[in-house]
Amino acid sequence: MTRKISFSKAINEALHQEMERDEKVFIIGEDVAKMGGDFGITAGIWSKWPKRAFDTALSESAIIGLSCGAALCGLRPVAELMFADFIAVCYDQIVNNAAKLSYMYEGKASAQIVVRAVTGGGIRCAYHHSQCIEPWLMNIPGLVVLAPSTPYEAKGLLISAIRNNNPVIFLEHKGLYNKKGEVPEDLYELPLYKANIVREGSDITIVAAMSMVDFAQKAAEELSGQGIQCEIINPLTLFPLDKETIINSVAKTGRLVIIQEGPKFMGYAAEIGSMVYEEIFEYLKAPMKRITSLDTPVPFAPVMEDYVMPQYEDVLKACNQLMSF
Amino acid sequence: MALSKDHMLNIYRDMVLIRRFEEIIEKYSKNGTIPGFIHLSIGQEAAQAGVIDVLRETDYKFPDHRGHGAIVLASRPEDRKLIMAEIFGKKTGINGGRGGSMHINDLKVRNMGFNGIQGSTVVTSLGTAFASVYNQTDDVTVVFMGDGTLGEGTCHESMNMAATWKLPLIYVLINNQYAISTPYTESHPQKQLSDWGKGYNVPSMTVDGNDIEAVIEVTQSAVDRAKRGEGPTLIELMTYRWQGHFSGDPAAYRPEGELEKWKEKCPIKLAKEKLLNHFGVHESEITEIHNWVEKEINSYLEFSLASPNPSPQDSIKYVYTDVEVEGRS
Ligand SMILES: Cc1ncc(C[n+]2csc(CCOP(=O)(O)OP(=O)(O)O)c2C)c(N)n1
Ligand SMILES: [Mg+2]
Repeated sequence: MTRKISFSKAINEALHQEMERDEKVFIIGEDVAKMGGDFGITAGIWSKWPKRAFDTALSESAIIGLSCGAALCGLRPVAELMFADFIAVCYDQIVNNAAKLSYMYEGKASAQIVVRAVTGGGIRCAYHHSQCIEPWLMNIPGLVVLAPSTPYEAKGLLISAIRNNNPVIFLEHKGLYNKKGEVPEDLYELPLYKANIVREGSDITIVAAMSMVDFAQKAAEELSGQGIQCEIINPLTLFPLDKETIINSVAKTGRLVIIQEGPKFMGYAAEIGSMVYEEIFEYLKAPMKRITSLDTPVPFAPVMEDYVMPQYEDVLKACNQLMSF
Repeated sequence: MALSKDHMLNIYRDMVLIRRFEEIIEKYSKNGTIPGFIHLSIGQEAAQAGVIDVLRETDYKFPDHRGHGAIVLASRPEDRKLIMAEIFGKKTGINGGRGGSMHINDLKVRNMGFNGIQGSTVVTSLGTAFASVYNQTDDVTVVFMGDGTLGEGTCHESMNMAATWKLPLIYVLINNQYAISTPYTESHPQKQLSDWGKGYNVPSMTVDGNDIEAVIEVTQSAVDRAKRGEGPTLIELMTYRWQGHFSGDPAAYRPEGELEKWKEKCPIKLAKEKLLNHFGVHESEITEIHNWVEKEINSYLEFSLASPNPSPQDSIKYVYTDVEVEGRS
C-alpha cells in the first residue's frame, strides 16, 4: 500500500519502523526526545520508547562521539544535527573518528551510525543555518553521504542507512520537508551507491541532487517543449559516487549540466565535471556547465538569498548554449 | 590498600615488562628501524599497570597516545609480540601495520585504541559506557587522558554528559607535569587538575601515580562506584615522563635536576623496595622476574624484526564495510 505523505513524515515513519524492528536503534540529539526535534522529525518516538530517545546538552562532539562508541558495542545510533552547519563543531568526530573506525579496526567494528543533518537554503535563516555542507564531507574516505530528493527516497534510503555498517551522513534538505509524494507503508530499502535516472533523454545529461532535482525537472519539461530532451541523474549517494551511471549517461548525450546548491569553487559539480573529462572526453559535444550558488555566505534578506542561489534561468540558458555549441 | 605478596610480585613483573618493552622500542626508534615517532611512558608504569590490573577483559579501555604500557598489559600474553610488531609497522602487527604506535587496538580484550586527535576518545568512551547501561551489562569504561588534553573542549562535553547520565566511565588523568613543553601549571588555573571535576559533581581525587598500591586502590573504588550505577570518577595520577614528549625530544624545557628528583620516585624502584622490605621477598626472586622479562621481550623483538612488511595493496582495505575503493591498476 502506498499513500501520499510528506518528506518529513517519510523520515519519521522510517525511524518509527526501524526502532520497532531493531531494539539496537536509538535516537540522540538536541531536543529530539520529548519535543520530537526542532523540525518535528522525531515526533512520537520518545513517548513510545522513552528509554531509546535521548535529549542531550548542546554538545555535538559528545553526540557524535557517544554514537561512535555505542556503535562499537553493536548499537545503531541515529543522531540528529539540528542544522548541518553545526557539523563544524563536531567535524573532528565525523572526520577523524567515525570515518576512520572501520579502517582502524580492520572491519571488525565500525561506526554504524547515521547522522541526520538538516541542510540547505531557502528558508531565510542566513549564513549559519542555510549552508550546503556536502563538499566538507566528500573528501573523507570512509563516510557515506546521502541526499534524497523525494519522500520515497527519504524513507528507503534512511532505512538502508540505519542497517548499513558505515557512518552515514543523511542530508535532509529543509526545503523538501513539506514536499509530498507516494510512499509505501511497509519497510523497504533503497540501494546505496546507486544513482537514480529520474528522467531519460538523449540530448543533455543534467546531474542534480536534493531540491535541485525539482529545478532540473522543471527545466527539462520546459526544454522538452523546445525539442531538447534532458536526462536527469540524481546521485542519491553523493559519496562514494555512482560514477558509472553518470558516465554512461554523458557518453550517450555528449552534454553535461550540473546543478548544485552551494558555492561553486570546489563543489562536487567540479568533481563530476573532471571525472567526465578524464574518462570520456572524446564523447563530449560541448564543454560542461555548472549552475551553482555564488561563492558567498548565504545572506538573510530574501532578495539577497535568492540572488546567490542557483538560478533557474541559468539552467535554461546553459542547456541552450550547449545545444548550439 | 595492602596487596598480597603474589599480587605485588605480579604487578612488579608487569611494570618491569612495560619498562623494558619501551626501552627496546626506544632503541629501535632512535636507530631508525621503527618508522615515525613514538611516545614513551617510561617513569609512568604504575599509572598504567595499576589501572589495567583492576580491569577485566570485558571492560572498555581507551589508552592514550602514551599508552604502550596499558595496551601491552591489557592484551593476552600471546598477543604481546604482535603489539611490538605493530609498532615496527609489520604485517604481523596486531593491526596489520596500518595503525602503528598510536592506534594499537585489540577488540577481543576491548582495547579500543587511541585516536590521534587529543580529546577524541574522551567522547567516544561516553558511547561504550552508554552501551553498558543500554545493554544492562556491568562493564565499565576507562579513558586515559593527559594533563594537557584536559584543555580540549570535548572533556567538558564528556564529563557534563557522563555525570548527568551517571555513566560507568572512569577518567584516568595522567598528570605527568607537561603537555609537550608546557607545564600544566601554565595552562590550567587549578592547583590540582582533579579540582576540575568538582564543577560537574564528579568525585575527583589526586593520587601519587607512582605508588602502585595507591593507583590500584583508587581505581578499584572508582570501578565499584561505576558498577553501583553512581556514575563517573575523575582520577588524577601524579607522575612524570622521563623521556621527551616523543623519543628523540631532548626535553630542554625542563629545569635542571627535575628529572633526577623524579627518578628517585621511580615506581618500579618503589615497588621493589616494598617487596624487599615489607613483603620479605628475596633478591633472587626479583632477579628471576627480570630474567623472565628479558627473555620475553627478546622474543617479541626477534619476532618483530623477522616479520615481513605489510602488502601495500592492503592499504585500500576496510575503508568501507561493504564497498571497495579503487587501488592502483
Ligand atoms: C587536537 C590535538 N591537538 C594537539 C595534538 C598534538 N599533541 C599530541 S600529544 C600533545 C600533548 C599532550 O599532553 P598531555 O595530554 O599532557 O599528554 P602527555 O603527552 O603528557 O602524555 C599534543 C599537543 C593532537 N594530537 N591533537
Ligand atoms: Mg602530560
